Amino acid sequence: MSLGVQDGGLAPYIILIAFGFLPSEIWRWLSFFVARGINEGSELFIFARTVSSVLLVGVVGKLIFSPVGALATTPLAARLGALAIGFAFFALFRRSVLAAILGGEAAIIAAGWWWG
Amino acid sequence: MSESQTAAETSLTPAERRALFLEGARQALTGPAYFVAVALVGVGGLAKAAGFPPAAAFLSTLLIWAGPAQVLFFGSIAAKTALSAVAVSITLSSIRLMPMVLSILPMLRAPGVGRRQLFMATHFVAVTVWAESLRRLPDIERAKRLPFFFGFAVACILTSAVFTQAGYYLTAALPKPLAVGVLFLTPVYFLSTLVRSARLPVDWFAMVFGFALAPITQAWVGGGFDLLALGLIGGTGAYVCGRFYTARRAERAS
Repeated sequence: MSLGVQDGGLAPYIILIAFGFLPSEIWRWLSFFVARGINEGSELFIFARTVSSVLLVGVVGKLIFSPVGALATTPLAARLGALAIGFAFFALFRRSVLAAILGGEAAIIAAGWWWG
Repeated sequence: MSESQTAAETSLTPAERRALFLEGARQALTGPAYFVAVALVGVGGLAKAAGFPPAAAFLSTLLIWAGPAQVLFFGSIAAKTALSAVAVSITLSSIRLMPMVLSILPMLRAPGVGRRQLFMATHFVAVTVWAESLRRLPDIERAKRLPFFFGFAVACILTSAVFTQAGYYLTAALPKPLAVGVLFLTPVYFLSTLVRSARLPVDWFAMVFGFALAPITQAWVGGGFDLLALGLIGGTGAYVCGRFYTARRAERAS
């Protein structure tokens, strides 16, 4: 492949579309045609929702158990603790997502400062 | 959810449609749009590190609109990976968009909604819009969902594109505790959103399976296939447990 980002001009944009946009977008297009036979409330719908929930929680689990970048400098106990504090705030403030974020963020930023 | 749509309900006036679009955008801008946008700040920094021109950061969010794929794209190009290998890893990571689209489109379908509009809607489905739609759409009348969805999604994607661009210029200037905070936003936001939108026993099983399997599949399944395995094994497990649990409860009640 002779195409490179450093070639300048339109090359970086062609690379973005051909090797970034298309390989990802193809799944959305494909799903559009598959979705035709699926109704809200059908078992296939619930299964698809379950798979995407598991995937999302799995990605979150990866970020917590084997984090990258700056988050890796905090110990696992601090990351799990910050999640627990987030949930405590969630429960205390009438199931508020924002409260969970503020509580968890305050805890992890403090941890990042302490172990920095 | 009433399925009894009369002709009067199905055809919204342009003014009603605009109001719903704006209401969607307003709800996004009370929180979710910023959470996903902050999570994409780091992608802008990666775009710069990979040697891309500034506009590529903004465009990557508009076009790809999937955080993990964008991280892979810029991260692996920065690491001088062959472009064909970049494309393969992005395709693997974006398979997870498929069940998301499959669980959103049936909620958006309504009499009077054209196929072209639904096709356009697929582009906006990514994890944030998916999780928030799951929570908000069931409370909205069927015919009113699509304009609301577009308002919500467009606000999310534009805010995120602006933040990605800001990340391109700010790069690694963040002090460490704040960088930790940015990286932690994704876990705490998505977990609480999922707990908020959980309705059925199967939703709780999904969380347990996902969290428990994450370290296992990462250790045992290599080559970028770990998430695919996690989705299929964990998803099937959670689904079967959910059905079993519901059946048992129904049996006891009768």
